[in-house]
Amino acid sequence: MTDELGALSTIFTEFYYWITVVLMFLIHVGFCMYEVGASRYKHHQHTLMKNTMLIPLVTVTWFFFGWWIYWAFPTGPGLAPSIMNESAALITDDSAFSAKWYVPTSDLMAVNLGDHISGVFWAAFLLFSWTAASIVSGAVIERITTFAFGILAIAIGSVFWTIDAAWGWHFDGWMLKILGYHDAYASGVIHAIAGGFALGILIVLGPRIGKFSSSGEPRNIGPRNPWLVTIGLFLIYTGFWGFYAACNIPIFNLGPEYGMEGVTYFTATNIYVTPTTLSGITMNFLMSLSGGLLAGYWIAKGDPFWTYSSGLAGIICASAGNDLYHPIQSMIIAMIGVMVAYKLHYWVERKFKIDDAVGAVAVHGYAGVAGLIICGFVLNGYPSSGYSVGSMWVGTDYAPINPLGMFIGAIIMFVVLGLIPGWIIAKVLHGMGKLRIPREVEIAGLDYNLLEAARDDEKAVSSSTR
Amino acid sequence: MATVTNWIDHLSAEEVAGAVYPGVGTEGVLVIVGLVIWIGWHVLTNNTESKELEQLARKRHSANDHKSNITEW
Repeated sequence: MTDELGALSTIFTEFYYWITVVLMFLIHVGFCMYEVGASRYKHHQHTLMKNTMLIPLVTVTWFFFGWWIYWAFPTGPGLAPSIMNESAALITDDSAFSAKWYVPTSDLMAVNLGDHISGVFWAAFLLFSWTAASIVSGAVIERITTFAFGILAIAIGSVFWTIDAAWGWHFDGWMLKILGYHDAYASGVIHAIAGGFALGILIVLGPRIGKFSSSGEPRNIGPRNPWLVTIGLFLIYTGFWGFYAACNIPIFNLGPEYGMEGVTYFTATNIYVTPTTLSGITMNFLMSLSGGLLAGYWIAKGDPFWTYSSGLAGIICASAGNDLYHPIQSMIIAMIGVMVAYKLHYWVERKFKIDDAVGAVAVHGYAGVAGLIICGFVLNGYPSSGYSVGSMWVGTDYAPINPLGMFIGAIIMFVVLGLIPGWIIAKVLHGMGKLRIPREVEIAGLDYNLLEAARDDEKAVSSSTR
Repeated sequence: MATVTNWIDHLSAEEVAGAVYPGVGTEGVLVIVGLVIWIGWHVLTNNTESKELEQLARKRHSANDHKSNITEW
């Protein structure tokens, strides 16, 4: 970099994403605390390690192939041509944002003086991947094997969410062009897909022993440590600030980008390179959090677990359009999302005997799907991209945002890329006898041996002090 | 192994080489090693977990047996 202003802009962007990664780390800290707080004492340590080990597993696989998938798959392949090379094939040519540069053997996937952005952008997306896997983790506690969870975490974190991001969370994604899909802060591309994936697993995995009575009535296995759950959810809120910031490009000149001759217009943009402001999305983030908390406190009659979760569900529901909504719209949408999530959670639990231990399918899946559908109505007619405006189904230009396209998008996220792959992989693992821990271990507690060893250590130490 | 031995020479070159990590050109080997470590980890930990679960399942503890193991330190 030899031009000072260009260097400042580049290094500001590099530092911006770096900060978002640090903030998003708190999401994972929060998820770990939340899960341990929700699990029973005899399963604590294994629950913690299961969620912790997704960090290295998703990270290394994200390095090996996850990041490549994101840049290769925006066209489908075969569904809509790329605006970079006008081909509908996988994007692996020499174009600027080709997957070719992000194979693990590329010299851009390392310290490279010619590229200050790829690494931090890779990391920001990776932290989204952890979040997707961590959402699933909470739903399956106390009965899944660590081996099975590791495979499933890699599948959602480094394969399926990155395919959906390439399709619907990329400036060149086919879902924008054909459907007019819009999901600025990931109601669908992270939350709906992870919720659907978790539901697919839960169908095969089954409930925890004792969750349902012999007549099928659900029993409450509430959080064991409400204070840990509280701090965990507050940390997830905190990390969500980083998540929102990471979904933006902090500074971009849209004039030349859109081909407008003589126009210079610097702004923050969302992932689709359409303008928004950090200022506006901050208002919307807080108003949707507030809407979620208000509705959650009311509908759950002040239950802390559901109230905190509803704050999250509120943000998740409003996230698809929080780059453009009015703050009061955000608040109302958040409230609707919470009601949908809460009611559906208990209906699905009773009707289908699904044991979603932390309400992850509801808070992320149902609220995410509701958010996408609502976004289609509220932002109906807005352009899904700044590059061009076309009509639905064509694929060569960008369709405007519309209710039908968003509804189909919600199904793609929750069912096609979430529920079905989760169910299939869980079935395979179940067939191998690797999905669920033995019944005797579930009853005794996954930590039984660890607790026994700690007791023996304590005895040994106390006998030496007599 | 060192890719850079003199920063003044490196940065004053007509075209500054971006990749500065040790062993530029050996990325393929590094990736293979990385893949072996990743897959190997799954194999090793799966074996350990299976043995541990099997052994614990054989003991048939009741739901409250763990309470006698709760330490006070």
